[in-house]
Amino acid sequence: MSNNKNINQNSNEKVSLKSKLSFLNTQITYLILVIIIVAIVASAINPNFLTLRNFFNIMQQVSVLGILTMCMSLLMISGGLDISIGNMAGLVAMIFAKMLIAGKSIPVSVITVILIALVLGFINGLIIAKSKVTPLIITLGMNYVFLGVALIIGGGRPQTITGQFEFLGEAKIGPVPVSIIIYLLILLFAFFLRRNTKYGRRLNAIGGNPQAAFLSGINVDLHVISIYALSGLIVGLAGLVLVSRLGMVRADSGSDFALQALAAAIIGGITFEGGRGSLVGAFFGVLLLGILYNAMNIIGVNSYVQTIILGAIIVIATVISNIGKMRR
Amino acid sequence: MNDNLNNKILNVINLTKEFPGVKALNNFNFDLLKGEVHCLVGENGAGKSTFIKILSGAFKPTKGDIYINDIKYNYLSPHLARKIGIQTVYQEDVLVPQITAAENIFLGIENDNKFFINYKKITEQAQNLANQIGISLKVNEIYEKLSPPDQQFVKILKALAQRPQILILDEPTQAFNVKDIGLVIDMVKKIKSEGVSVIYIAHNLDEIMQVADRITVLRDGLRVNTHSINEPNLNTSSIAKEMVGRPVELFYKKNKTNIGDYVFEVKGLKIKPNSKEINFKVREGEILGIAGLKGAGRSEIARAIFGAIKKYKGKVYYKQKDITPSNPIKAVREGIALLTEDKKVDGLFMGLPVYQNITIVGLDQLGKVFINLTKERKLTIDYINKLDIKTTLNKEVRYLSGGNQQKVVIAKWLFKGVNILIVDEPTHGIDVNAKTEVYELFTSLAASGKSIIMISSEMPELISISDRVIVIRNYEISKELVGDEITEENILAGFMGGM
Repeated sequence: MSNNKNINQNSNEKVSLKSKLSFLNTQITYLILVIIIVAIVASAINPNFLTLRNFFNIMQQVSVLGILTMCMSLLMISGGLDISIGNMAGLVAMIFAKMLIAGKSIPVSVITVILIALVLGFINGLIIAKSKVTPLIITLGMNYVFLGVALIIGGGRPQTITGQFEFLGEAKIGPVPVSIIIYLLILLFAFFLRRNTKYGRRLNAIGGNPQAAFLSGINVDLHVISIYALSGLIVGLAGLVLVSRLGMVRADSGSDFALQALAAAIIGGITFEGGRGSLVGAFFGVLLLGILYNAMNIIGVNSYVQTIILGAIIVIATVISNIGKMRR
Repeated sequence: MNDNLNNKILNVINLTKEFPGVKALNNFNFDLLKGEVHCLVGENGAGKSTFIKILSGAFKPTKGDIYINDIKYNYLSPHLARKIGIQTVYQEDVLVPQITAAENIFLGIENDNKFFINYKKITEQAQNLANQIGISLKVNEIYEKLSPPDQQFVKILKALAQRPQILILDEPTQAFNVKDIGLVIDMVKKIKSEGVSVIYIAHNLDEIMQVADRITVLRDGLRVNTHSINEPNLNTSSIAKEMVGRPVELFYKKNKTNIGDYVFEVKGLKIKPNSKEINFKVREGEILGIAGLKGAGRSEIARAIFGAIKKYKGKVYYKQKDITPSNPIKAVREGIALLTEDKKVDGLFMGLPVYQNITIVGLDQLGKVFINLTKERKLTIDYINKLDIKTTLNKEVRYLSGGNQQKVVIAKWLFKGVNILIVDEPTHGIDVNAKTEVYELFTSLAASGKSIIMISSEMPELISISDRVIVIRNYEISKELVGDEITEENILAGFMGGM
């Protein structure tokens, strides 16, 4: 018996060392490897690729996608999904632009649109939690609702706010663009929310097995609704970064982001199974997409071909991660 | 036995199957006569599944010879096995849910016309086949609408439709309640009388004694012994002894514990509006057994008490205080635990690591908002050691054995700290040794003052662990048994509604 305990403790200690590096699981290792290869190839062709300036450039370009990928990842880990987040960000950006144009102050407008985004996420969560319909269908519908509302608000025209609100998208603190700082802060927030809070742990459990979570006395509905609401709030921030970077907004400015965020999350190892995957992985998923785009631009790959390559990458990454699963 | 029956249809010599680090089957010898039922028994992991997987062609043996009708094979492929006439019915086999039983039975062999299926003909053939082995089955019913026992019959008929020489049945009575196991045994005897040889695998030794001509006991990949059913002194406990390799009491000897006052009470519980009220009380430190056949409403009663399903009416009291939970959140807050029957479905988070499974209900102990990860690690290691769970902290629960998974479920509730444990079939699908450990755990929990309500369909378990047993029949209490009244006969009488 005492022997047994020793063995157990020893193996637990070994695990504890390993678990400290557990965020570097195999999928992430592969991702980093691919990113390094892409970087080497790109810089061999064009030495401008491997500069700090270009790195900041890439990070700035992916900041909106990165923030939305955090939303998507948190939702997927909780067993959910929201493919309306792109158009939700577009709608929020549209409302913000209209408010600025109507002469409202920046603080008032920021707070208003973030609250609106929170409510939109809450509505998604409420419908999903109470109807028990698969989130894919609900958010697919809401995706069009948000687009339509944005079209009405903007009157179908782009709204320009050039120079009125550049802080989030274009300003820098020291050498670092603000949008990158916001992205990294949200990443840290999401990471610790998942890893270190009871709330995050319960989300993980709900994603892993909602029925077992219910019978473990977890208020499943409350958690589902609140994570969609929280995701909405973060989407609000993404919308603000988006409009700030572009200096203008169209109703469909956010349309492409939802599926790209889904792709980045899956490339990073987040799965539809829920409860699995790491947010650090999702970060590298975003980084890979960003570096690929940037490298292809610098090398001069035709933009239509870029689209094909992007699609192929998503398929390959998903297949590879599934092979890993089958081996288990 | 008749002489002409004594030709060996299957003879296996020195069959060995090695997996990295383990010999799943070690120089195993086995033979099967024409028209006999040869049972394989052994604990989980003894090598039974490995053996039948070699026979069905799923595994290639490391070494050894397989003789079928005196023809030597080094290994079988699935195709070859089928061609020779070996059919295996696994417990987890899946048929097509949306088509009829008859269509499933003849799926792939409805070959008299290339394009069209003659539904009338296959229905007739399926019916004949069912009659032949003496079972009544609606062969025209859509498969998914059949009861689990009938679905099992369809699987067996599907195998028989291939006209096998050797039929391998893996736990064929899993889906049946105690009363109906006889149906399967009668069916197997009919199949045998048609000249088919049967390899029969089951955990229930009483069932084995009724169905077997010979019994081979496996332990750790080795053949321990082969018995003929006619041997004098052959009984379930002598077989059980061979299975575990040391004396084991089928009837676990429970230490007497001190039982306190009544603390928990269920009053006027009705799940369906037209059934009688259910009333019972449980004392501190008492283990109350709940017996009943499948479908009698045992699990529903448990879930209703826990607030997991809606009840028609009824109240739950703890120490005279009304704590009737309207949902599991409240039940957990009031110190009630529910250990569900199928832990994989709704008891465990199979894809999450062990430590997350253990702490999920009792997270409040680890901090207000943030989890104290160091404390979590330390406490979880304590529980793993205390319950002797063979695992590491970070292992996903899906990789644990059934017994260790059950211990994780128990640890989860102990970590939370509960007063009342409602356990539904606590030893389903776990091996003999792990069962004993679970019993010891329950006994010591009861001794520490917790009350346990144990739903079970295993007689030895109910009889040896429970201080008191109530028998449920059709959502009502049909009998209450105390002390020496707790016998198989009395419990069975309760199932049937007899007094």
